Amino acid sequence: MRLLWPLVFFAFAFAQTPTGEPPPDLPPEVFRIASELRCPVCQGESAAESNAGVSQEMRRQIAEMLRQGKSAEEIKRYFVERYGEWILYAPPKRGINWLLWLAPLIGLLVFGFGFWRYLAEAGRREAELELSDEELKALERRLEGE
Amino acid sequence: MRRWVYFSLVPVLGALFWWGMQRDPGELKSVLVGKPAPDFELSLLPPYRAEWGERFRLSEHRGKPVVLNFWASWCYPACYEEAPILEAGWRRFRDRVLFFGVNTQDREADALEFIAQFNLTFPHGYDPRGKVGIDYGMYGVPETFFIDAEGRVRYRHAGAITAAELEKRIREVLP
Repeated sequence: MRLLWPLVFFAFAFAQTPTGEPPPDLPPEVFRIASELRCPVCQGESAAESNAGVSQEMRRQIAEMLRQGKSAEEIKRYFVERYGEWILYAPPKRGINWLLWLAPLIGLLVFGFGFWRYLAEAGRREAELELSDEELKALERRLEGE
Repeated sequence: MRRWVYFSLVPVLGALFWWGMQRDPGELKSVLVGKPAPDFELSLLPPYRAEWGERFRLSEHRGKPVVLNFWASWCYPACYEEAPILEAGWRRFRDRVLFFGVNTQDREADALEFIAQFNLTFPHGYDPRGKVGIDYGMYGVPETFFIDAEGRVRYRHAGAITAAELEKRIREVLP
Protein backbone atom coordinates (compact mmCIF):
# COMPACT_ATOMS: atom_id res chain seq x y z
CA MET A 1 0.00 0.00 0.00
CA ARG A 2 2.86 2.32 0.84
CA LEU A 3 4.20 1.76 -2.65
CA LEU A 4 0.88 2.66 -4.16
CA TRP A 5 0.76 6.23 -2.90
CA PRO A 6 3.47 7.61 -5.17
CA LEU A 7 1.70 5.89 -8.06
CA VAL A 8 -1.58 7.56 -7.17
CA PHE A 9 0.23 10.87 -6.78
CA PHE A 10 1.90 10.63 -10.18
CA ALA A 11 -1.28 9.48 -11.87
CA PHE A 12 -2.84 12.76 -10.81
CA ALA A 13 0.24 14.75 -11.66
CA PHE A 14 0.27 13.44 -15.22
CA ALA A 15 -3.43 13.84 -15.69
CA GLN A 16 -3.16 17.60 -15.25
CA THR A 17 -3.34 19.80 -18.35
CA PRO A 18 -2.12 23.41 -18.29
CA THR A 19 -5.62 24.80 -18.18
CA GLY A 20 -6.71 22.33 -15.52
CA GLU A 21 -9.31 20.76 -17.79
CA PRO A 22 -9.36 17.02 -18.40
CA PRO A 23 -7.69 16.14 -21.71
CA PRO A 24 -10.42 15.90 -24.33
CA ASP A 25 -10.99 12.41 -25.63
CA LEU A 26 -10.40 13.01 -29.31
CA PRO A 27 -11.10 10.53 -32.10
CA PRO A 28 -8.11 9.08 -34.01
CA GLU A 29 -9.19 10.96 -37.15
CA VAL A 30 -8.26 14.20 -35.35
CA PHE A 31 -4.71 12.95 -34.80
CA ARG A 32 -4.47 11.70 -38.38
CA ILE A 33 -5.26 15.19 -39.72
CA ALA A 34 -3.14 16.91 -37.04
CA SER A 35 -0.15 14.73 -38.02
CA GLU A 36 -0.20 16.41 -41.45
CA LEU A 37 -0.05 19.85 -39.86
CA ARG A 38 2.94 21.54 -38.30
CA CYS A 39 2.94 22.68 -34.69
CA PRO A 40 3.56 26.43 -35.19
CA VAL A 41 5.75 26.90 -32.12
CA CYS A 42 7.78 23.67 -32.25
CA GLN A 43 10.84 22.43 -34.08
CA GLY A 44 10.00 19.46 -36.27
CA GLU A 45 6.90 18.34 -34.42
CA SER A 46 3.46 17.89 -35.85
CA ALA A 47 0.31 19.21 -34.25
CA ALA A 48 -0.51 15.60 -33.36
CA GLU A 49 2.66 14.90 -31.34
CA SER A 50 3.14 18.27 -29.72
CA ASN A 51 1.70 19.15 -26.36
CA ALA A 52 2.13 22.88 -26.83
CA GLY A 53 -0.99 24.87 -26.03
CA VAL A 54 -1.44 25.92 -29.63
CA SER A 55 -1.32 22.30 -30.84
CA GLN A 56 -3.89 21.27 -28.25
CA GLU A 57 -6.13 24.06 -29.48
CA MET A 58 -5.55 23.01 -33.09
CA ARG A 59 -6.62 19.44 -32.25
CA ARG A 60 -9.66 20.78 -30.44
CA GLN A 61 -10.59 22.89 -33.47
CA ILE A 62 -10.04 19.93 -35.83
CA ALA A 63 -12.38 17.82 -33.67
CA GLU A 64 -14.91 20.63 -33.74
CA MET A 65 -14.75 20.95 -37.52
CA LEU A 66 -15.08 17.17 -37.95
CA ARG A 67 -18.20 17.31 -35.80
CA GLN A 68 -19.52 19.99 -38.14
CA GLY A 69 -19.03 17.52 -40.99
CA LYS A 70 -16.02 19.17 -42.62
CA SER A 71 -13.67 17.01 -44.68
CA ALA A 72 -9.94 16.59 -43.96
CA GLU A 73 -9.19 18.73 -47.03
CA GLU A 74 -11.44 21.54 -45.82
CA ILE A 75 -9.83 21.44 -42.38
CA LYS A 76 -6.33 21.60 -43.82
CA ARG A 77 -7.38 24.50 -46.04
CA TYR A 78 -8.65 26.31 -42.93
CA PHE A 79 -5.16 26.22 -41.44
CA VAL A 80 -3.44 27.03 -44.75
CA GLU A 81 -5.60 30.18 -45.05
CA ARG A 82 -4.22 31.34 -41.72
CA TYR A 83 -0.63 30.11 -41.74
CA GLY A 84 0.13 29.62 -45.41
CA GLU A 85 1.31 26.36 -46.94
CA TRP A 86 4.12 26.32 -44.41
CA ILE A 87 1.71 24.68 -41.97
CA LEU A 88 1.46 21.55 -44.16
CA TYR A 89 4.04 18.88 -43.47
CA ALA A 90 3.95 17.73 -47.08
CA PRO A 91 4.24 20.73 -49.43
CA PRO A 92 1.70 20.52 -52.28
CA LYS A 93 3.16 18.92 -55.40
CA ARG A 94 3.17 21.83 -57.83
CA GLY A 95 5.44 24.57 -59.18
CA ILE A 96 8.71 25.14 -57.37
CA ASN A 97 7.70 22.61 -54.72
CA TRP A 98 8.56 19.82 -57.17
CA LEU A 99 12.17 20.77 -56.57
CA LEU A 100 11.70 19.84 -52.91
CA TRP A 101 10.13 16.51 -53.75
CA LEU A 102 12.78 15.69 -56.34
CA ALA A 103 15.71 16.95 -54.25
CA PRO A 104 16.49 13.52 -52.70
CA LEU A 105 16.45 11.91 -56.15
CA ILE A 106 18.63 14.68 -57.61
CA GLY A 107 21.02 14.28 -54.67
CA LEU A 108 21.21 10.54 -55.25
CA LEU A 109 21.91 11.02 -58.96
CA VAL A 110 24.67 13.57 -58.27
CA PHE A 111 26.20 11.25 -55.69
CA GLY A 112 25.91 8.28 -58.06
CA PHE A 113 27.59 10.20 -60.86
CA GLY A 114 30.43 11.34 -58.56
CA PHE A 115 30.91 7.83 -57.21
CA TRP A 116 30.95 6.37 -60.71
CA ARG A 117 33.55 8.91 -61.81
CA TYR A 118 35.65 8.15 -58.73
CA LEU A 119 35.59 4.43 -59.41
CA ALA A 120 36.48 4.97 -63.06
CA GLU A 121 39.39 7.21 -62.09
CA ALA A 122 40.63 4.76 -59.46
CA GLY A 123 40.45 1.92 -61.97
CA ARG A 124 42.48 3.94 -64.50
CA ARG A 125 45.20 4.73 -61.95
CA GLU A 126 45.42 1.11 -60.93
CA ALA A 127 45.85 0.13 -64.58
CA GLU A 128 48.65 2.72 -64.88
CA LEU A 129 50.47 1.23 -61.91
CA GLU A 130 50.53 -2.24 -63.43
CA LEU A 131 53.76 -3.09 -65.25
CA SER A 132 53.82 -4.73 -68.60
CA ASP A 133 55.89 -7.88 -69.13
CA GLU A 134 58.59 -5.96 -71.04
CA GLU A 135 58.95 -3.41 -68.24
CA LEU A 136 59.15 -6.17 -65.66
CA LYS A 137 61.88 -7.98 -67.61
CA ALA A 138 63.82 -4.76 -68.12
CA LEU A 139 63.71 -4.07 -64.39
CA GLU A 140 64.81 -7.59 -63.58
CA ARG A 141 67.73 -7.28 -65.98
CA ARG A 142 68.77 -4.04 -64.28
CA LEU A 143 68.64 -5.64 -60.88
CA GLU A 144 70.69 -8.62 -62.02
CA GLY A 145 73.21 -6.31 -63.63
CA GLU A 146 73.81 -4.43 -60.38
CA MET B 1 38.87 22.83 -63.40
CA ARG B 2 37.76 21.15 -60.19
CA ARG B 3 39.49 23.77 -58.08
CA TRP B 4 37.67 26.48 -60.02
CA VAL B 5 34.34 24.83 -59.16
CA TYR B 6 35.19 24.80 -55.46
CA PHE B 7 36.38 28.41 -55.46
CA SER B 8 33.25 29.60 -57.24
CA LEU B 9 31.22 28.05 -54.40
CA VAL B 10 32.78 30.45 -51.87
CA PRO B 11 31.13 33.66 -53.20
CA VAL B 12 27.85 31.80 -53.76
CA LEU B 13 27.72 30.61 -50.14
CA GLY B 14 28.94 34.01 -48.97
CA ALA B 15 26.14 35.76 -50.86
CA LEU B 16 23.58 33.33 -49.43
CA PHE B 17 24.86 34.01 -45.91
CA TRP B 18 24.79 37.77 -46.45
CA TRP B 19 21.24 37.60 -47.80
CA GLY B 20 20.19 35.50 -44.81
CA MET B 21 21.71 37.96 -42.35
CA GLN B 22 19.96 40.92 -44.03
CA ARG B 23 16.52 39.44 -43.43
CA ASP B 24 14.67 40.85 -40.45
CA PRO B 25 13.36 37.97 -38.35
CA GLY B 26 10.64 40.28 -37.02
CA GLU B 27 9.33 40.71 -40.51
CA LEU B 28 7.51 37.42 -40.68
CA LYS B 29 5.14 37.97 -43.56
CA SER B 30 1.64 36.87 -42.75
CA VAL B 31 -0.64 35.37 -45.37
CA LEU B 32 -3.29 37.69 -43.91
CA VAL B 33 -1.54 40.85 -45.13
CA GLY B 34 -3.96 42.67 -47.44
CA LYS B 35 -6.88 40.53 -46.28
CA PRO B 36 -9.67 41.46 -43.87
CA ALA B 37 -8.61 40.96 -40.26
CA PRO B 38 -10.39 37.91 -38.80
CA ASP B 39 -13.14 39.06 -36.48
CA PHE B 40 -13.28 37.78 -32.90
CA GLU B 41 -15.11 38.33 -29.68
CA LEU B 42 -13.37 37.96 -26.34
CA SER B 43 -14.32 38.61 -22.78
CA LEU B 44 -12.36 41.55 -21.43
CA LEU B 45 -10.13 41.22 -18.42
CA PRO B 46 -11.79 42.74 -15.31
CA PRO B 47 -9.80 46.03 -15.14
CA TYR B 48 -11.22 47.12 -18.53
CA ARG B 49 -14.87 46.18 -18.12
CA ALA B 50 -15.93 49.50 -16.61
CA GLU B 51 -14.76 51.43 -19.64
CA TRP B 52 -15.12 48.91 -22.50
CA GLY B 53 -17.88 46.55 -21.37
CA GLU B 54 -17.89 42.82 -20.66
CA ARG B 55 -16.92 41.71 -24.14
CA PHE B 56 -14.90 43.09 -27.00
CA ARG B 57 -15.76 42.49 -30.64
CA LEU B 58 -13.21 43.67 -33.21
CA SER B 59 -15.73 44.42 -35.97
CA GLU B 60 -17.50 46.90 -33.70
CA HIS B 61 -14.43 49.14 -33.80
CA ARG B 62 -14.09 49.59 -37.54
CA GLY B 63 -13.18 53.09 -38.75
CA LYS B 64 -10.04 53.37 -36.64
CA PRO B 65 -6.75 51.58 -37.20
CA VAL B 66 -6.06 48.82 -34.66
CA VAL B 67 -2.80 47.65 -33.14
CA LEU B 68 -3.51 44.07 -32.11
CA ASN B 69 -0.93 42.66 -29.74
CA PHE B 70 -0.74 39.01 -28.66
CA TRP B 71 1.06 38.42 -25.39
CA ALA B 72 1.33 36.20 -22.31
CA SER B 73 2.77 36.69 -18.86
CA TRP B 74 5.01 33.61 -19.34
CA CYS B 75 6.56 35.17 -22.42
CA TYR B 76 9.79 36.43 -20.89
CA PRO B 77 11.64 38.61 -21.78
CA ALA B 78 10.08 39.70 -25.09
CA CYS B 79 6.60 40.57 -23.78
CA TYR B 80 8.14 42.37 -20.79
CA GLU B 81 10.37 44.41 -23.09
CA GLU B 82 7.59 45.63 -25.33
CA ALA B 83 4.86 46.21 -22.71
CA PRO B 84 6.07 49.71 -21.71
CA ILE B 85 6.60 50.59 -25.39
CA LEU B 86 3.05 49.57 -26.26
CA GLU B 87 1.66 51.52 -23.31
CA ALA B 88 3.60 54.63 -24.37
CA GLY B 89 2.37 54.17 -27.96
CA TRP B 90 -1.22 53.89 -26.74
CA ARG B 91 -0.94 57.06 -24.66
CA ARG B 92 0.48 58.92 -27.61
CA PHE B 93 -1.87 57.70 -30.37
CA ARG B 94 -5.05 56.80 -28.47
CA ASP B 95 -7.10 59.50 -30.23
CA ARG B 96 -6.37 58.02 -33.63
CA VAL B 97 -5.52 54.34 -33.07
CA LEU B 98 -7.08 51.60 -30.97
CA PHE B 99 -4.73 49.28 -29.14
CA PHE B 100 -6.01 45.87 -28.09
CA GLY B 101 -4.11 43.18 -26.24
CA VAL B 102 -4.95 39.49 -26.54
CA ASN B 103 -3.72 37.62 -23.51
CA THR B 104 -2.96 34.18 -24.93
CA GLN B 105 -2.79 30.79 -23.19
CA ASP B 106 -2.29 32.30 -19.81
CA ARG B 107 -3.74 32.16 -16.32
CA GLU B 108 -5.97 35.10 -15.54
CA ALA B 109 -4.23 35.87 -12.23
CA ASP B 110 -0.82 35.97 -13.95
CA ALA B 111 -2.21 38.16 -16.73
CA LEU B 112 -3.62 40.62 -14.21
CA GLU B 113 -0.31 40.75 -12.39
CA PHE B 114 1.46 41.56 -15.65
CA ILE B 115 -1.07 44.30 -16.45
CA ALA B 116 -0.62 45.82 -12.98
CA GLN B 117 3.16 45.62 -13.26
CA PHE B 118 3.20 47.74 -16.43
CA ASN B 119 0.05 49.72 -15.65
CA LEU B 120 -1.39 48.88 -19.06
CA THR B 121 -4.35 51.13 -19.79
CA PHE B 122 -5.40 49.87 -23.24
CA PRO B 123 -8.03 47.10 -23.24
CA HIS B 124 -7.05 43.44 -23.02
CA GLY B 125 -9.10 40.36 -23.83
CA TYR B 126 -8.64 36.94 -22.30
CA ASP B 127 -8.03 34.01 -24.64
CA PRO B 128 -6.82 31.08 -22.51
CA ARG B 129 -6.99 28.58 -25.38
CA GLY B 130 -5.28 30.78 -27.94
CA LYS B 131 -8.18 30.50 -30.39
CA VAL B 132 -7.77 34.04 -31.76
CA GLY B 133 -4.05 33.43 -32.20
CA ILE B 134 -4.75 30.50 -34.53
CA ASP B 135 -7.21 32.65 -36.49
CA TYR B 136 -4.39 35.11 -37.05
CA GLY B 137 -1.85 32.43 -37.94
CA MET B 138 0.23 33.31 -34.93
CA TYR B 139 3.52 31.47 -34.41
CA GLY B 140 4.29 32.60 -30.91
CA VAL B 141 3.90 35.49 -28.51
CA PRO B 142 4.57 38.33 -28.81
CA GLU B 143 3.16 39.21 -32.19
CA THR B 144 1.66 42.53 -33.24
CA PHE B 145 -0.75 43.05 -36.13
CA PHE B 146 -1.46 46.42 -37.68
CA ILE B 147 -4.98 46.72 -39.03
CA ASP B 148 -6.08 49.73 -41.06
CA ALA B 149 -9.31 51.69 -40.67
CA GLU B 150 -11.02 49.52 -43.29
CA GLY B 151 -10.25 46.44 -41.23
CA ARG B 152 -7.47 45.01 -43.39
CA VAL B 153 -4.30 43.48 -41.99
CA ARG B 154 -1.41 45.59 -43.20
CA TYR B 155 1.56 44.23 -41.30
CA ARG B 156 2.56 41.60 -38.80
CA HIS B 157 5.52 42.01 -36.48
CA ALA B 158 6.88 38.94 -34.71
CA GLY B 159 8.84 39.30 -31.48
CA ALA B 160 9.24 42.28 -29.16
CA ILE B 161 8.46 45.52 -30.97
CA THR B 162 10.65 48.61 -30.67
CA ALA B 163 9.32 52.15 -30.25
CA ALA B 164 10.63 53.16 -33.70
CA GLU B 165 9.03 50.17 -35.40
CA LEU B 166 5.74 50.73 -33.60
CA GLU B 167 5.57 54.35 -34.68
CA LYS B 168 6.56 53.54 -38.27
CA ARG B 169 3.87 50.88 -38.62
CA ILE B 170 1.22 53.04 -36.95
CA ARG B 171 1.95 55.84 -39.42
CA GLU B 172 1.46 53.36 -42.27
CA VAL B 173 -2.07 52.49 -41.12
CA LEU B 174 -3.11 56.01 -40.20
CA PRO B 175 -5.60 57.38 -42.75
